[in-house]
Amino acid sequence: MAGKIDPILVAVLDNRFSSICVEIGQTMLRTSRSPIFSEARDFVSAIFDRRGRLIAQKDYIPVLSGAAPFALRAIADHFKGRIYEGDVYVLNDPYRGNNHPPDITVVKPVFFEGELAFWSMAKGHHVDVGGGGVGGYNPLATDAWTDALRIPPVKLYERGVKQQDIWDMILINVHIPFLVEGDLHCQVGATTIGERSLTSMARKYGMDTLEAVIEEIFDAYEAKMRAEIRSIPNGTYYAERKIDHDGIDTDKPVTVRLALSVHDEDVVYDYSATDHQVKGFLNSTYPNTVSSSYISLFTTIKNKVKINEGSIRPVTVIAPEGSLLNPLEPAPTTASTVPTAETIAEAGWYALAQAVPNLCQAAWNRWAAPASGGVNPRTEKPFGDIHFMSKGGGGATEGIDGWDHLGTVICLGGLRAPDPELHEMVTPYLILNYELMPDNAGAGQWRGGNGLHYKWQVLGDNVAFAMFGSGVRDETAPFGLAGGKGAPKTEQYLIKADSTRIWLDVNTFVYPEKGDCIEIFSSGGGGYGDPFKRSTALVLEDVQNELLSIEAAKAQYGVVIDPETLTVNQTETDKLRSKGV
Amino acid sequence: MGVKIGIDVGGTFTDFLLFDGEGNTAIFKSPTTPDDPTEGVFAGLAEMAAEKGVTIAEFLKQVEVIVHGTTITTNAVLTGNGAKTGFITTKGFRDILNMRRGLKEDQYETKYAPPAPLVLRRFIQTVEERTDCEGRELTPLNRQDVQKVVEFFKQEKVEALGVSFLFSFFNPEHENKIGEILATELPNVYVSLSSEIIPQVRVYERNSTVALNAFVGPKLKSYLSSLKDRLESNGFQGVLLIMQSNGGVMSPEVAIRFAVNTLLSGPAGGPAAGISYANPHELKNLITVDMGGTSFDASLIMDQAPGITVEASIARHRVALPAIDIHTIGAGGGSIAWIDTGGILQVGPQSAGAQPGPVCYGRGGTKPTVTDADLILGYLEPGYFFGGRMGLNYEAASTAIAVEIAEPLQMDVVEAANGIYQVVNANMAAGLGVVSVSRGYDPRDFALVVAGGAGPIHAGMIARELEIPLIIIPKVSSVFCAAGMLMSDLRHDYVRTYAKPLAHADLKRLNEILAEMEEEAVSTLKREGIAEAQIVLKYSLDLRYEGQFNEVEVPFSINSGRDKVEEMQLAEITQAFDRRHDALYGYALPGVPSEIINLRLSALGITDKPAFKKTKFLGTDPSPAFKKYRSAYFDTAFREVPVYDGRLLGHGNMITGPAIIEETTTTIVVPPEYDLLCDTYDNYLMHPKGMALSGILEKLRRG
Repeated sequence: MAGKIDPILVAVLDNRFSSICVEIGQTMLRTSRSPIFSEARDFVSAIFDRRGRLIAQKDYIPVLSGAAPFALRAIADHFKGRIYEGDVYVLNDPYRGNNHPPDITVVKPVFFEGELAFWSMAKGHHVDVGGGGVGGYNPLATDAWTDALRIPPVKLYERGVKQQDIWDMILINVHIPFLVEGDLHCQVGATTIGERSLTSMARKYGMDTLEAVIEEIFDAYEAKMRAEIRSIPNGTYYAERKIDHDGIDTDKPVTVRLALSVHDEDVVYDYSATDHQVKGFLNSTYPNTVSSSYISLFTTIKNKVKINEGSIRPVTVIAPEGSLLNPLEPAPTTASTVPTAETIAEAGWYALAQAVPNLCQAAWNRWAAPASGGVNPRTEKPFGDIHFMSKGGGGATEGIDGWDHLGTVICLGGLRAPDPELHEMVTPYLILNYELMPDNAGAGQWRGGNGLHYKWQVLGDNVAFAMFGSGVRDETAPFGLAGGKGAPKTEQYLIKADSTRIWLDVNTFVYPEKGDCIEIFSSGGGGYGDPFKRSTALVLEDVQNELLSIEAAKAQYGVVIDPETLTVNQTETDKLRSKGV
Repeated sequence: MGVKIGIDVGGTFTDFLLFDGEGNTAIFKSPTTPDDPTEGVFAGLAEMAAEKGVTIAEFLKQVEVIVHGTTITTNAVLTGNGAKTGFITTKGFRDILNMRRGLKEDQYETKYAPPAPLVLRRFIQTVEERTDCEGRELTPLNRQDVQKVVEFFKQEKVEALGVSFLFSFFNPEHENKIGEILATELPNVYVSLSSEIIPQVRVYERNSTVALNAFVGPKLKSYLSSLKDRLESNGFQGVLLIMQSNGGVMSPEVAIRFAVNTLLSGPAGGPAAGISYANPHELKNLITVDMGGTSFDASLIMDQAPGITVEASIARHRVALPAIDIHTIGAGGGSIAWIDTGGILQVGPQSAGAQPGPVCYGRGGTKPTVTDADLILGYLEPGYFFGGRMGLNYEAASTAIAVEIAEPLQMDVVEAANGIYQVVNANMAAGLGVVSVSRGYDPRDFALVVAGGAGPIHAGMIARELEIPLIIIPKVSSVFCAAGMLMSDLRHDYVRTYAKPLAHADLKRLNEILAEMEEEAVSTLKREGIAEAQIVLKYSLDLRYEGQFNEVEVPFSINSGRDKVEEMQLAEITQAFDRRHDALYGYALPGVPSEIINLRLSALGITDKPAFKKTKFLGTDPSPAFKKYRSAYFDTAFREVPVYDGRLLGHGNMITGPAIIEETTTTIVVPPEYDLLCDTYDNYLMHPKGMALSGILEKLRRG
């Protein structure tokens, strides 16, 4: 085997690297003070080789994973020549390699026998990053300074010594220093967990062997990915999807235009025709655009491949400077990981569906809900949260109904809904309704997942809501595929004490009074295939389970159900279905 | 002293381990009878009676204790074949159970559905009622709603009902009221209230646990009743105990109320067996592994106590009550080797199972498995599998590995077989890493106790990978769990949510809650026939730094005085919490306020354990057990290695690796870097060459 690396060792170490990322993630999950990490799992853990190439990652939230290598490279370049054992770096500036400000990147260089050997990263969504926003979201931001606090690559620790000045500088600029400080500690601890495991690996195998193995891992994943791409027919596929608006020009939808080319073993995502960068916070930095593009491709390929340096080699992303998907400094960017990323993912599926429809998914519920914050009068403590209980339905694919309460697509189902009880113990909110919503999924031979009806009462004053997202207009509601129907748009209301209902737009602030309620009807997912081909038994089951009304069963699926006996009237159904839609 | 029997009903075989009053053991196995498992149990009992030359009734009269592990509940969940179950919850929160917190386990996989619900949505009914986050009633229980729901479930003829209201762990009044109504109106329905089963914060986890309890309760109830009747009508006058997921045992009466506690009891006997077999060597820190045909179970034991988790799940449904922290991966003798699209060799998690089984079984399997690789490498003897009762087809195994693995990887068959062996060993080593390294423990500080048919073939290489210095292989390793059952104590775990900053903890209230739990624990154990002196209570707090969302369990000892906990102890607990947090998560925040979330109590009723009998010293020379030389592969080449008959090996025999020992139901591979000693209790001790066993033992004892 001279000159060639033992393939068995490659298999062994590949799994070991992945399990280290899970170990890093466990610390984030279990010790965070922000419900966004610990309850919702809005973070990614990753390890890189000495040269900054992504070896493995655990993407609880996939939209973060593709962006991680950019952040690492920015930090490594910035500190070149000043990288010491015991250092820990932090970064959140979208124009210095980060995706968007709330996802603060913490990185620790891992040394072995005095030499830089690896990098250990924990990157996640903080509950607060200062600026004019709530929970990091400022729908009225028009530049990077009103968007959020900007942290260029700086050292949290140097040679193991805590750089208190930098901590003070960061913490004085955020609204809830208690939570931000706790979560920075949690990230530093997480990278340390990664460091411990990586150095023990280096001791065991030696760096020469590890580095040779890593090259083999990259080549193997590149080969896997190329094999998958080869099974997609060559061609250029076009797609166009919209976002409601950017928060500033509220009557102007923003459009993502994609030309996706498959050529043998390579894929190009070309966004050249996309809108120019916008005034509001939708602008997506290049790292975020790349990362969001991976979502459609890595879910569509038949045999799943992990994201690492090797598997992303065949993918090229083109986004012209100054466009929505590669903005110039200082455009605001905070919402890029949600509405913009969702729109990018949808465009990818829409395009790929022209080549391999049976492998694609219909659109998922788009995020439309608030981040909120303030002081809880009961506990007298500040709180901050993103209202993840509004997660709507997932999209259907051939053979499988969409999952309920799964959105948004940028998380691919990795976002865990908070526990309602822990939520009420921390926030000044009383949840009145948290249930699936009937008649809300896109119809299809395989239907979309069910959306959600979420309503809560505000029990304190001085609470601010930053409503952000998209999907509250017909043209941005989830689409269906292959004859499947789309789902209705999401609706959000403010309900005053006198029962007045006020329709709420996305990308705006709302300041409720004590006693007001917020009610969100999150859409279901889009359906796949002709609804008239859906099995009558499955339609009946949804009716029995009160997820589909008898009227909708008839109108959408052509299935006639007797309201008395709750059984299918086969004759009427056959008659109706034979006529077609 | 009378006879004690451990009975472990597994998927294929029901294992029996019999201890007589003199400390002699005997192993029996009978085929499991899934339709009515009591048949298999009685077949085994009949065989034991026959061996002793007495009738079943005469035999059962001598039996003092039967400890029984049943998978009847586990199978009900795995096959979706439980009771017709309804669920009642707070209005506005109907779908908490089936939404599963909106998580999809495998994010990138699209052709993949959620698990079938335990309770269909139409059988989940809501009633108007509400308690707030401090336990105050906001909305009274709506009697009309309750009546409507009762009528509905009457009409639907459900067999079981789970009830879980928001914040019922702070204030169980509404659950208690509806519980009383259900007892009157639906007297034959099995009812589980969340405030009884799991009075603890986190509503999905609580609902799931209660729904599982209801789903399997009626099945367990009827099974245990019929088993007990049948035993008693056949003359059994002893004590019947049931194995639980937390590694303890309980009476059938408690098991019927807390059926959910049997769901993960299948492998839960293993750690207790490990503790018992390591005990004569005064080893307290262990990792036990059990490698069968399809899965590999690993658990970590610290200071003679197995790790406990509250994050277990079964068939993708969460069980939030304490269970032994057993990490299971899809690696066993039947695990299939394959090459992925990137050309990387993978083993498992797909398994050829018992049918068709490995290619070498000759039952139609075509995909190469771990057992096939073990055969090619010479670890298994084609003519001596299951003590010679089963032949293995070497040619077929070789062809399958050649076609599926060796040719695509451009290797020869032996290299490929060795690859399979190494990859599966690495996967298992990673599994051990999950229970040790990931939990903040260094595996080099532990002894490895090995069980299962395939375990001892691979144990040496797994230990080598993790630098574990000592491997213990009990001769009863093939009925390990049945053995463990006889070594288990009665155990009941209690939890109460008490959410307060530690600095502001109301010591009076805290002590009251501890006293309540203690009272419940002691009275339950006394009803189970445990004397006061045999009761051991272990206390712990779930703590977190203020603002965190997850807790770390911190054990503490109590005062002998009137109050169980005093100010002083809280300070000690805080320090212990900081240390544990650092070990687990890479940092601690000393001085930062912490808060209590749950109070926990584990109550043990110490049972009489069967005594091990010392075996006779046979001297160091193993040559009386020598069978022959066989060619076996180690690292890079085949070598002629001695093969010994395990039945003839005994106390004092020393074997130097490489060597192979054949027991009837397993094979022990001693790698070249290891030596092996037979101890006086019928265990094999394997350790690296060049290290004195006494030194290793001493180091492990120090911890």
